[in-house]
Amino acid sequence: MKIAADRARCEGHGVCADIAPEVYDLDDDAVVVPRFEVVPPELERKAEAGARVCPVAALRVTT
Amino acid sequence: MSVPTSDIDLFSDEVLLDPYPSYARLRELGGVVHLPGNDVYVLTRYDVIRDALGDWETFSSTRIGFNPAVNEALQGTSLASDPPVHDQLRATLTANLSPRALRGLKTQIQAKAGSLVDELVAQGSFEAIDALARAFPLEVVADLIGFTGHVRDNMLRWGQAAMQVIGPMNQRTAESFPIAGELYGWCATVTAEDLAPGSVGRGIFDAQARGDIPAGTAGHIIHQYLGAGVDTTIAAMGNIVALFAAHPEQFELVRKDAALVPAAFNEVLRFWAPVHAWGRLVTKDAEIDDAVVPAGAQVAILFGAGNRDPRHYDDPDAFLVERNPVDHLSFGYGPHGCAGQGLARLEAHAVIEALAHRVGRLVVGEELRIPSNITRSIERLPVVEVVPA
Repeated sequence: MKIAADRARCEGHGVCADIAPEVYDLDDDAVVVPRFEVVPPELERKAEAGARVCPVAALRVTT
Repeated sequence: MSVPTSDIDLFSDEVLLDPYPSYARLRELGGVVHLPGNDVYVLTRYDVIRDALGDWETFSSTRIGFNPAVNEALQGTSLASDPPVHDQLRATLTANLSPRALRGLKTQIQAKAGSLVDELVAQGSFEAIDALARAFPLEVVADLIGFTGHVRDNMLRWGQAAMQVIGPMNQRTAESFPIAGELYGWCATVTAEDLAPGSVGRGIFDAQARGDIPAGTAGHIIHQYLGAGVDTTIAAMGNIVALFAAHPEQFELVRKDAALVPAAFNEVLRFWAPVHAWGRLVTKDAEIDDAVVPAGAQVAILFGAGNRDPRHYDDPDAFLVERNPVDHLSFGYGPHGCAGQGLARLEAHAVIEALAHRVGRLVVGEELRIPSNITRSIERLPVVEVVPA
């Protein structure tokens, strides 16, 4: 599983990092920084959940 | 399969006062239901709504309102535009509203909420809508954008009218248009000097003067801050008080665990959506749950119906602060997801924290509601006794 983060669209609401901190980090401007290029299998559900709650649809996971 | 139909009138007094029984009936009929009486197709189920909000190519925002005059009036705002134009307008709108832009405000907003709630607790009883739900966001938004003088005095009626006129051309809309017109007129002529020095509003004009944003957009941005950010936030604030009073055992959970504050606000928003219906224009035949909605159709998104969809939430009609429905639909979703949600969260979390620290229990009298086309809010809510923490 890979994460596609649209950093231009990200507005820094930080909801992804709240619910899946193991997968999503925020930089100093609160813009999302995924911690992995390829998500470890045990974190795939977390990655999906974090992408799902992005309020502005800036995150997508692909398998 | 053809689209199911219903004779429910989405904007009747009865439905506006308590839409939830109608939402349930419509949701059982289908994910999309045609209401010939309103000439709209309503989206009722969680997945259908979320998919539509994410698909701007099929569901255009050029008709978010339910009458042609308001759609005309909203042209040029990010609210009523589609990508790619939308994306630039949105960026200018959110530059001052993103969580990072608001970071510095948190302490100030918490202090304001704390002293307001202190005052109300000391009084022993108060009218929750005027004294808290309206007073707090009006002060926060006025100070943030830099509204002064007569504009500050008009924020409430302008904000209410701006939402009301998004409805169909009924009496409520007709009566509100002259008031919304005052807002449009002021926003068309507002200058930097009308806004307090050092405010976000003044900053937007500075950006326009520098050429960072196109000429003429500053007024549109001010319009949206006022039109979209006031009435809805007030509704959510009133709902916090009403739902904590009605569910003391849920309030008790928040009092005992401050970590539940964000979850409690998510549940307040899920349980009672501040926005009843929001429009989209179908640009091409759209297949929804095996039924086809024709190109050119007017859609009404029923956020509150999706938020109570048992296909998505267990026991959806229960108010449970531990549920933490982070994916509720009340802020919308996707490219047009509420631009002010960061500020709304700051304000609401501050108020919930202040209540949880200072109040043991709220005893309320009967709430009064007045039917309103788009915003569903409580008009009057007497708190007859505050039991201090």
